[in-house]
Amino acid sequence: MPSRPMDRLQRPQTERSPLVDFDFDRHRLHLEGESYPEDAAAFFGPLLVALDHYLVHLRAEPPASPLVVDLRLTYFNSSSAKAFMNLFQRLEAAARDGVEVQVNWHYQSDDETMMEFGEDFREDFQAARFELCVFD
Amino acid sequence: MSIAAQYFDVHQRMRDQGVIFSFVGYVSEGILFSLGEALKQKMRLDETDANVTKRVFSIFVEQVQNLIRYSADRLQSENGTPTELSSGLVMVGRDATHFFVVCGNVVGRAEGEDLCSRLEELARMDPDTIKSYYREKLREPPEAGSRGASIGLIEIARRSTRAIEFGLTELEAERAFFCLKAYI
Repeated sequence: MPSRPMDRLQRPQTERSPLVDFDFDRHRLHLEGESYPEDAAAFFGPLLVALDHYLVHLRAEPPASPLVVDLRLTYFNSSSAKAFMNLFQRLEAAARDGVEVQVNWHYQSDDETMMEFGEDFREDFQAARFELCVFD
Repeated sequence: MSIAAQYFDVHQRMRDQGVIFSFVGYVSEGILFSLGEALKQKMRLDETDANVTKRVFSIFVEQVQNLIRYSADRLQSENGTPTELSSGLVMVGRDATHFFVVCGNVVGRAEGEDLCSRLEELARMDPDTIKSYYREKLREPPEAGSRGASIGLIEIARRSTRAIEFGLTELEAERAFFCLKAYI
């Protein structure tokens, strides 16, 4: 039975919320910008719901190419950090179930905070690959 | 005293304390955003180190969002949080050695005491302990009735470069004024 295709989830970047581009067909999720939305639960809720739905498909039919998640953030508040942790826990769980997951954490070379967050988050991944990607 | 002399006096006292800006009254998410933009712009113009600016901004956001969420003096529309207006005080400044961010608001007395004991716990921790406490709290499901203050408070303590200062002063009707000052 063919799985039901999912519409690409796209949100433009705003002054206080990141760009979200979840391309289910290509198995890519991209987040970029600053994140301190008025209501982090309302902002990230739909993304987490879509991810859960999508991971059900991936677990049933693991794709040939890995799910690649790129995060290029410059600032986020503590409520957003909580949302990222929820995202990462789902990705790691899927990786443990055999879905190939690659997470790339992009940060600018002189950004101590984003580097430290990347190092922190990296410790939560065992089955999924988590890479720190520094740029100038 | 003339009206100009009277307010010049207010202005001068603030400046003497190193205040960059100060806001007293109802704070909304929109005001948080605008004050935050002004703060970043001012720090850029002063050529403040980018990592210091980020720490100050991060503490500012957590402080003001806590104020918006937890002030006991709050106006709220019936359909949710985005129109929340919470009364309080926000002050950002710089003394001889540090930037500082102060927030103050009215809370229920019991709630204020609980807040202070959580902060005392944080104030006793060294940086490495704070860091692992933050990681631990990030993995936990949210506490009942909480909208994330715990993580926010840890973030404030974590980004501070000198011990946080805080306290309560009792008001009538089982209320208190709570204040937290963080240094960067």
